[in-house]
Amino acid sequence: MNTLEINNLRKEYVDHYTGETIPAIGEVTFSIGEGEFVSVLGPSGCGKTTVLNIVAGFIDHTAGDVLVHGKSVHGPGPDRGVVFQSHALFPWKTVLGNVTFGLRMKGVPRVERERAAADILELVGLSGFERKYPHELSGGMQQRLGLARVLVNEPEVMLMDEPFASIDAQTRRKLQQDLTEIFEKRRPTVFFVTHDIDEAVFLSDRVVVLSARPSTVAEIIDVDLPRPRTWRETVEDPRFREYTHHIEERLGGGEPDAQAG
Amino acid sequence: MTTIDSPARTVGRVRRPGPRRGSEAVWFVVPFVLLVAIWWLVVEVTGTTARTFPQVTDVIAALAEMAASGDLARHLGASLQRMLIGAVLAVVTAIPFGIALGSSPRLSAFFSPLLRFSVALAGIAWIPIATLWLGYGDRAVIFIVWNAMFFALTYNTVLGVQQIPVQTVRAARSMGTRGPRIVWEVLLPGALPSIVTGLRIGLGYGWRGLVAAEIIATNAGLGYALFLAQSQFDTGVIIASMVIIGVLWLLMDRLLLAPLERRTVERWGMKAVS
Ligand SMILES: Nc1ncnc2c1ncn2[C@@H]1O[C@H](COP(=O)(O)OP(=O)(O)OP(=O)(O)O)[C@@H](O)[C@H]1O
Ligand SMILES: [Mg+2]
Repeated sequence: MNTLEINNLRKEYVDHYTGETIPAIGEVTFSIGEGEFVSVLGPSGCGKTTVLNIVAGFIDHTAGDVLVHGKSVHGPGPDRGVVFQSHALFPWKTVLGNVTFGLRMKGVPRVERERAAADILELVGLSGFERKYPHELSGGMQQRLGLARVLVNEPEVMLMDEPFASIDAQTRRKLQQDLTEIFEKRRPTVFFVTHDIDEAVFLSDRVVVLSARPSTVAEIIDVDLPRPRTWRETVEDPRFREYTHHIEERLGGGEPDAQAG
Repeated sequence: MTTIDSPARTVGRVRRPGPRRGSEAVWFVVPFVLLVAIWWLVVEVTGTTARTFPQVTDVIAALAEMAASGDLARHLGASLQRMLIGAVLAVVTAIPFGIALGSSPRLSAFFSPLLRFSVALAGIAWIPIATLWLGYGDRAVIFIVWNAMFFALTYNTVLGVQQIPVQTVRAARSMGTRGPRIVWEVLLPGALPSIVTGLRIGLGYGWRGLVAAEIIATNAGLGYALFLAQSQFDTGVIIASMVIIGVLWLLMDRLLLAPLERRTVERWGMKAVS
């Protein structure tokens, strides 16, 4: 059984001023297996965030199903951990307070919480910052904390919406490398939204390409690159360039009537 | 609200003890010393009589006499007690009400015109009604303090809750925060910068409401001391009472609000917008 299944998902927004319905997601179906890293790519405004928000349980969908381990989801829950682009850390909590938040909600005793937090902070490279507040961290460190805060809860699936988009290019490369290493070590199930093609190919086992709004799945690409991956080696692999070129063409070439049908 | 802030507040996030803090205190006192000096000089040069405006020494004498006779302690005690009760009542009613309004768009849409209307009327304008309902005495004054604070505090709590980024609340929910726990875990701390602002504004209103209500509705307290001195043409006591009222406000701000701010919103990098 797949960890996450998205079946015939449709979403229409209602414009509150005009009363019009705006189709955002036409029809999206794909699934993510256990321990698999899947990226969703697509033109801006095609509905990537919408799909992720539906899976997270933050917004309702119009039709279709979202299943986690075969069970349909209703509202947000700790089985689906979310890493936000805006990191959405709690500024009133220390690094430690942020990381242990989910475990505290679950009722995990303090000693265990702090042990788990120490492991995760080590993993993401934030050991020694336990007593700092989020505003005392750099943007990259804040995003590491956002990741740690979710990883520590060991959710069934991690949902990440362009987590590195507002981070400078150099730091972003480093974070992508570190995320890959963490993924290879822990094998969480990841649903990753991005519009950076290189990022999607580098990180993923599969890439789901969406068409323009109202989105449908244009193509699903298996990324057959060896792990463990490093940026240095991966960019030199001719298949990496093949994948990225292919996706570029898929995204750029079909305009403007990619949505006919 | 920036005018009553000391310059020290805007200097930096984290204040350190030691020499820097000492020099801040000096700079805080300097303008007051200057004011007193000018006061003394002007009264001296123009030969103003105590009937119109007292000399600095008259006020010091009045203060000493109030202290010696026990009037000072009695008035101070009465005022502070009423202020405390009124403020506590305002905090325990306005913050929960504000959080309820802030987390429900429908409730806040319904109440917000009413709230804005009431902020303008809060406090002093209610004194006649308060004395009709509650008679002349403590209860009317406490009601005025509560009333003066309530609307500003509610209004700012609502704003604070509404300004919490939706992603922050979503993050908490997706980590298993359910039901009323969200209030304690997210809404209250998230709204705190604005709540502290509301507290500062509200305490200012409450303090003024207290003095005004005491002038009219009671026979003890700093406001009453002002009123009594006026009827006896005792300008020394009038100015002495005004000085006490002002100094108490400063102490309240420096000893209560500033440390609260320093330990919470400043520490968290969420400095209140004032
Ligand atoms: N709350 C909303 N009400 C109405 N329309 C919305 C709402 N949210 C999104 N939309 C519309 O739905 C479409 C999909 O939006 P979404 O944010 O999911 O796109 P996206 O693929 O994440 O875009 P980007 O790459 O820019 O982040 C867009 O056309 C957007 O205008
Ligand atoms: Mg998006």
